[in-house]
Formats: sequence, C-alpha cells, structure tokens
Amino acid sequence: MKRKLLQIFKFAFLLIMIYSFKTASAQSETDSLGAEVTTLKDKVFGLEERLTTSDGDLSKLTKIKLSGYIQAQYQHLEAPNVYPSSVFSVRRARIKFTYEPVSGVTFVLQPDLIPGNITLKDAYAVANDKWFKTFSLWVGKFNRPNYEVEYSSSNREVPERSRMIRAIYPDERAIGAKLEIAPPNIPLKVQLALFNGNDGISISTPAYNFGTGKWDNTSTVGQNTDFDNYKDFMGRVTYGFKFGNLGGMSVGAHGYYGQIKANSKDALKSDYTYDQSFDKIDKGVPKQWVGLESQIYLDLLGGLAIKGEYIFGVNSTPGYYVSSGSVALPTTSVLKSDTLTITSTTLKSNNYAPAISRNFSGYYVYLNKNIGKKNQVAVRYDYYNPNTKLAADEIGTAKYDAKVPDVVTSDKIYSGSDPVICTNTITKTTTSNKLSSGTADIPYGTLTLAYSYYYNDNIKFMLGYEMPMNEKVGVVDANGVGNVKTDYTVNGVPGTMYYNEKINQNTLTLRVQVKF
Amino acid sequence: MKKMKNIKMTLGILVIALLGMAFMPAPKKITVKGSDTMVILSQKWAEVYMKTNTDVAIQVTGGGSGTGISALINGSTDICNSSRPLKQSEMDKLKERYNTYGIEIPCAKDGITVFLHETNPVKELSVSQLGKIFAGTIKNWKEVGGPDTDIKLYGRENSSGTYVFFKDNVVKADYAANCQTLPGTAAVVNAVKNDKFGIGYGGAAYAAGVKHCLVKKDDKSTAYEPTPENIKAGTYPITRYLYMYLTNRPTGDIKKFVDWILGPEGQKLVVEVGYFPVK
Repeated sequence: MKRKLLQIFKFAFLLIMIYSFKTASAQSETDSLGAEVTTLKDKVFGLEERLTTSDGDLSKLTKIKLSGYIQAQYQHLEAPNVYPSSVFSVRRARIKFTYEPVSGVTFVLQPDLIPGNITLKDAYAVANDKWFKTFSLWVGKFNRPNYEVEYSSSNREVPERSRMIRAIYPDERAIGAKLEIAPPNIPLKVQLALFNGNDGISISTPAYNFGTGKWDNTSTVGQNTDFDNYKDFMGRVTYGFKFGNLGGMSVGAHGYYGQIKANSKDALKSDYTYDQSFDKIDKGVPKQWVGLESQIYLDLLGGLAIKGEYIFGVNSTPGYYVSSGSVALPTTSVLKSDTLTITSTTLKSNNYAPAISRNFSGYYVYLNKNIGKKNQVAVRYDYYNPNTKLAADEIGTAKYDAKVPDVVTSDKIYSGSDPVICTNTITKTTTSNKLSSGTADIPYGTLTLAYSYYYNDNIKFMLGYEMPMNEKVGVVDANGVGNVKTDYTVNGVPGTMYYNEKINQNTLTLRVQVKF
Repeated sequence: MKKMKNIKMTLGILVIALLGMAFMPAPKKITVKGSDTMVILSQKWAEVYMKTNTDVAIQVTGGGSGTGISALINGSTDICNSSRPLKQSEMDKLKERYNTYGIEIPCAKDGITVFLHETNPVKELSVSQLGKIFAGTIKNWKEVGGPDTDIKLYGRENSSGTYVFFKDNVVKADYAANCQTLPGTAAVVNAVKNDKFGIGYGGAAYAAGVKHCLVKKDDKSTAYEPTPENIKAGTYPITRYLYMYLTNRPTGDIKKFVDWILGPEGQKLVVEVGYFPVK
C-alpha cells in the first residue's frame, strides 16, 4: 500500500514538474510574443507619425496648382508689306501658378514665356466671401470684364480675338480691383472693376513746363505704370437661361466709363475738328462705351454655339510727342561799322500730335459647331469701325493743324574793341502740332474660318484662315492715286499699299496647342 | 488519308470561325465614371443591363464625382456619375469644350447618413451641430450631450461629391484638419464601426453595422432618421439627387441604357441597392 502511494506521489510529482516546465515554456513564449507585439506597435506608431508628417507636407503641396499651355504655330502672311511671310513662332507659352493657402483665398501668377519676350500676364489675389458664397474681391493684374477678353485663348475656337476687342482692350489685362457678385444657384454674375486705364498702351509723354511754357523732354509710359490720376470704371452683368436639355443662353451688357489724360494742349473730336471745351493739358479725354452680348448654346447633333457682341462709344488716344530735330546752319560773318558779327543759326523742330476722341462701333459673331467629340469648326465675322464720324471719302482728307508760329531767339555776346566782335547765336524753333486722318480710321470687316481637332485632352490642332477686309477709303487723284496709303520697303524694294482698294492681308495659321 | 482529311476539315472550321469572329460586330462600349457613392448602383445597372444586351459592354469606375466630371470634360468617359450638381465653373468648361451646357439626368435620390458607433449615447444632432463638429468648432462629445471624450472625424476625399455636398450644405466652412479622409463610404462606415468615439458621413446604401444618427433641421425641429419614408418625404434634412451627366443628349446605345435606368427595371435596382427612385 505504501509502495503504491509512493508511486502515485512520484507520478503526481512528475506531472507537476512537466506542467511547471510547460507553463514556464508557455510563459516564455507569451513574453516573447508580447515583446514582438510591442515592437510592432512601436513600428506602427512610428510609421503613423511619419505618415502624419508626410501628410502635412503633402497637403501644403496640394495647395499649389500648376497649369498652362503652349501654342506653337506656322503662319503664312499674305500682306505685301510683311517679310518674312512664312514663319514659325511660339504664340503663347504660359504657366499658371495658383496657390490657395486657405479655402477661399487664391493667388495667381501667370507669366507668358515667349522666347525673347517674357511678360507677366496675370498677377492677382482673389478673396471669396465664405458666408454668402456670393462675393469675391480681386486685386492685381487680371482680365478686364468682357466676354471675349475673359474667354481663354486656349479655348478660343479661332486663332485670335476680334479686331475691335484687340483695339479697345489691348493686352486684355489691366491693373486694378474688381468685385464679383455671383450668388449661388442664380445664373447671375455682376462684375464691378476699377482700373488704371492706360493698360496695354505706351504713351510718349512730353513734360510740359508751366514756368517756361515749353515742352521739355519726353519719356515713355509703359502699360504697367499709371499715367494719370483718372481711374476707369468697368461693369458687366450677365444672366443665363436654360432650355431644358436642348441648351441655353446667356445675355449680358458691359460698360466702360473712364478718361485718360489728354497729354496735349489740344484735343480733337472724332471728325478731327478742335474741341473748344478743352482747356488744359491734364484734362481727361473720354473712354466711354457700352456693349451688349449674347451666347446661345444648342445641342443639335452635337454642340452648336452662336455668340456675339456689339459695342459702341468713344475711345480716346492721348496726345503724344512724335519727334524732334536739330540742324546747325553754316556760320556767317559780316563786318559792318567796325563790328564783326559772327552768326551761328540752329534750326530746331518739335513735332507733337494732339489728343483725339474717336466715336467707334463694332461687333463680332461666332458660329461654332462640334462634330463628335474631337472635331470643331468655327466661323467668325467681326467688324470694327474706329471712327464712325468720318465717311469713307473723308478719311485722308480730315486733318488738324495747329499752325504754331515759329519762335526765334537771338543771343548776342560782344567782345574786343577794334573791331568789335559780336557772337550771335540764333535758334529758330518750328513746332508742328497736327494730326491727319488715315489708316487708324479705316473700318475693317474680318472673316475667320477655323477647324480644330482635339487629339486628346491635352493636344489640339487648329487650322485657321483670317481674311481682314478694309473698306475702300480716301479719294483718288487725276492720276488714279489714292490719298490714304502705307509706304513700305521689303528687301530694299519700296512699295505702297493704297486703301482705296481692297488689300490682301490674309493670314493662314496652323497651330498646335499642348495644354497641361 | 482520312487523318489528312480531318486536319483539313479542322483547319477549314478554324478559318471560318476566325473570319466569323472578324466580321462579328464588336461589342459597343459605354464608359461610366465618377461618384463612389453611386459605384455599386451603377455596377448593378451595368451588370443587369448587359445580361439582356449582350452586344453592349459597360465599364464602370469610381474615383469620385469630381474625377468623373473632369473625365466628362476631357472626353474620357461617356457618362459621368455625380452625387452633386455641376458647378458653374464645370458647366463653363463644358461650354468651352463642347458648346453645350451638358445634359443632367437625375437618376436616384439619396440621403446622406451620419454614422455613429453603436455604443455612442448621442442619438440625434442638428445640421448646425454637425457642421460645427466637422468644422472642428465642437471638439468634444460632451458639448453635444455625449461622454467627455474627443470626437474622431471620418469623411470622404475631396474628389468625392459627398464631400462637396456635405461641405456646402452642412459644414459650410472648411473641414477640420483632423478629419480623416477615406476612399469610399464603406471605408467610413468601417472606421466608425471600429472607433467608439467616431463620427462619419456617407450614402445610406453603405450603412450596415453602425448606428444612424437622427438629424434635425435646427434645434427646434424634430430629428429624423434617414429612412426611405423620411428621405422620400423630404423630412430628413440631408437629402440629395444622384445624377448622370453627359456632354450631349444621348443617342444610340447610350440613350437605350439611360432610358432603361430611368425605366421600371433600372429604378427597381435603385431601391434594391438602398437608394430611392426619382419617380
């Protein structure tokens, strides 16, 4: 019995030993697993931390957007005064940087990197109201509020904007501030802007010295520098309608109300007569016009658009300095009554042009048709009459000449006694202050045909043919020679274009556009 | 000799089969891209439609409403699914590229559901409270009657129409920086399911396994659950249409597919997937 008990005790002891060993072993496995889990956990936390840092860096980068396009083209120009007439060029090469540091505030920079002519097209900041989501304030250099101006060149269906828009809104952009009102869920947009007003034009500025009553010197004001204290106001209102799934239309109007410093003692009306109401050099001459616009979109076997705008008003060109010259005549000596007079004469000439305010009108109409997803044809006719107050036969005849009398000064210095020497310095200044009607007053109608092929979202090919047609203007003399003309020299051969005839100024453009 | 004959016969059959295949009309392909909210519904439509229209191949991909709209503008999809209406800027891009306003087809109705963990004591929130929570103004559950714990936010990526719709109609400001963005509503549901103090939003179709938060229009209004009845009746405050967009009026196979979606069969699938029919 004792032996049996001893055996049971031994067996139980053995079991306990085995169990203890197994438990110890399991404990050790659990410990090692726990350590591994802790290591993994640390690694995950580490990765999470790194991911959070990377996310932070990445979110900063996502606030910067980069877009742009390049337009490379071949052109054949048919105008007789152009050489070379067959050219490859980069028409536009733009990169647009958009930075949105916080929701609703955007900064935009857009340089145009054309080889040899790098310019800054856009540089503006936009602040959107976050409460009503209706108002936005723009400051800087940006597009003037007009349909064709704001319509991006990368989307336009023909190579260039219409002649009228290029004339009244040179360079498209202006420096100033704009308030945009676009209530959500209402297809209404109101734009109110204030600009310097001389954007896109360069003006030669003779400085008028009020002390001496003379014009002293000249400098040129570029488009990015203000030229006067006058600020120009622009407003545009558009409203959209939808015709269900058939399409829709937008109607709108825009107005320009501004002035520009005359920069001249004289100002002319549209018919080249003197403006009696004008009295001083820093008085403003008007830049005031109104435009009506509409765009109709129809889904007729693919998109079809008819878009047009009519603008009329008064546009002014400031007076400007044209040129000056100085010629020294041979010195003369005359001995009379014991006095030797040595006379040196200098002929000086100053040429100025007065300011002029021209009444103008013009319009453009586009007809665009999409064929499938890749093809688009466009026809545009635009008309621009830069001076509605002159009939065709008055262009070249109407002119202004201020007939400024010559000014002669004589400065005599005497020296010696036998004979007395008199040094006489004579300066004869001739001032011309005149302006003649001419090529700047010729009305043009331009027909443009274009075909675009969208190879994909990024690449577009365009074939465009622009046919500007001048109106026949001026009068023809007995020899059949017109009085409105442009003289030119191409490769040493002189030529003249007479505007009493239609002049071929057509341009063929083959353009490739890459957009990103 | 017989073997040779068999080989010739086999070759002949093979040539005829190959020629037959060459002249067989290729299956017409329709591409559908956009809203992640709509991707399951759209796949279901495609799957069922292709069973009876074997000559049509419909390819459905998600990516978000914004991605779909971009694809529509750049011409890489025939149909764009979007859980939000087109923005004016997007419509302008369509006008610039295709000379059309685009075609908008509302094809289903949806209520944006706010998901809470099953154990969260908070039952209802007003639209304004939700806005403040997702904007980061309200940071602790205590502020809306819950435990004294930080609120964990889960939302969609900014390419999502749900993200935009919720931001425009509920948050009305920028999302809080700590709102974790996830690809698809299913991921949002999953995240809230695993986070006791989480809150997320998404389409009703994905609402399995979490608690629906009752939503009231303002503090004085009654709170409603996003049930089919409440969404249909418009009493649930965060409802929206789901859209299909095309560049032009549909023709041919695309028109047939769109008509089928708007017809009884397509709308029946809308209900099956968990959304609400437009008619």
